[in-house]
Amino acid sequence: MSRPELTGHASLFYNEKEARKYDSSSRMVGIQREITERAIELLKLPSNRPSFILDVGCGSGLSGQVLEEHGHVWVGCDVSRDMLNMANERIERKREEAMGEGDSSEDDSDNDMNDNNDSNNDFNNSKGGTEESSPGDLLHHDMGTGLPFRPASFDACISISALQWLCYSNTKEQIPKKRLTASSHHYTKGARAVLQFYPESSEHAILISECAAKVGFAGGIVVDYPNSTKAKKHYLVLSFERSYKAPQGLTGLEGALLNEGRSGSGGVRVADKDPRRAAGKKSRGPPRKKKGGGKTKEWILHKKETQRKKGKDTRKDTKFTGRKRPMRF
Amino acid sequence: MRLLTHNFLQSNVRGTEKGYPLNIEVTTIKYEESPVDKEFLLNLLPKVNYNALVAAVKQMSPHCEQPLPELPETMDVSNAEQNQNLDDATISNLHKVLFDVYLVEGWLICPDTGRKFPVKECIPNMILHEDEI
Repeated sequence: MSRPELTGHASLFYNEKEARKYDSSSRMVGIQREITERAIELLKLPSNRPSFILDVGCGSGLSGQVLEEHGHVWVGCDVSRDMLNMANERIERKREEAMGEGDSSEDDSDNDMNDNNDSNNDFNNSKGGTEESSPGDLLHHDMGTGLPFRPASFDACISISALQWLCYSNTKEQIPKKRLTASSHHYTKGARAVLQFYPESSEHAILISECAAKVGFAGGIVVDYPNSTKAKKHYLVLSFERSYKAPQGLTGLEGALLNEGRSGSGGVRVADKDPRRAAGKKSRGPPRKKKGGGKTKEWILHKKETQRKKGKDTRKDTKFTGRKRPMRF
Repeated sequence: MRLLTHNFLQSNVRGTEKGYPLNIEVTTIKYEESPVDKEFLLNLLPKVNYNALVAAVKQMSPHCEQPLPELPETMDVSNAEQNQNLDDATISNLHKVLFDVYLVEGWLICPDTGRKFPVKECIPNMILHEDEI
């Protein structure tokens, strides 16, 4: 896997040629779209309500496009001027289309979304009806130096495949830790942030989550498809609510479906990954050991289950598992 | 850049205390109408700094071909329930000001340090030099 982060600063790597390549690659577009959809899902925004979203490292506005389709208004910032120019072109095009008659391809995508997302049905229809175009605004900025917004501005924040750029210090002054902690404090109370990134090693993932905890975020890293090298995605899901627990990542078969679905239309949505449900059941640790008492049956079953998951030899559960012993004298 | 974005922008040059609101120096301006999204506007209003918005409109309006709608000097927009009672004319005025006016070329000036941030093709450049971080 090639890592452009190693070659230098993002503004140098994404020059005009790279930006154009990035934007016209249908593979990139597909992946970015998939990730953004998932990020929006993880954000759990109040449905049927447009939100004001910050997109850090928006690049050529691919993620912003998805946000628009969901009816949100966004502000994007990126360090590469050429990428921003691409995004600007896209916004201009969109505006011209909106000025003229409704574009048929756009209508199609709207319909697809309605099929996928029944709860949002009315909302999307109303958007389609009024020919709403709420293109984002762009900002040329380096996220490593802290974001230029006043506190409590945004309903949510997303960042797609950008955070890894902060992990490298290309010059002496750029201390990765400092750069990572710099971007924070800009969200409304109760807002969530979903930041998708590609860590080079587990140390990077730990470094990033440590920085987030230092700033005062609760949350964690959600890993989708941990068993697949290709479809594996890391999402740093953050919230200011102390009790907030990061939802479960996606696993198993869906990874394969994801790859197939991408080449087809719109991507396949699998029923069994409703984030609301995943977050609803808070994963509590094993019950605490009672004073003087032994280990409870639930504790034993839980422990056996974890051992089994690790692939260790474990006795199967029977009616004798964790049974009471007779008192000894 | 729309005034919506300007309303949230803040200078973070080293040595600034507040860095808000940024003063606008206009070279070119653009006005493009868009449909009013009342729901979103009402969601957004409590977060908007109204005084900064009025100040920004004052700096922008002399350069605009079409006169910008007049906003009342002071208004309390922080209460979401109160905002529900706003009449349609005020809402459409607010929408026009926030969403339809674009600063195409110009400068944003930090009120504390006087640092000028250039705006080109609607994109403000907020990148700081190494000694300003």
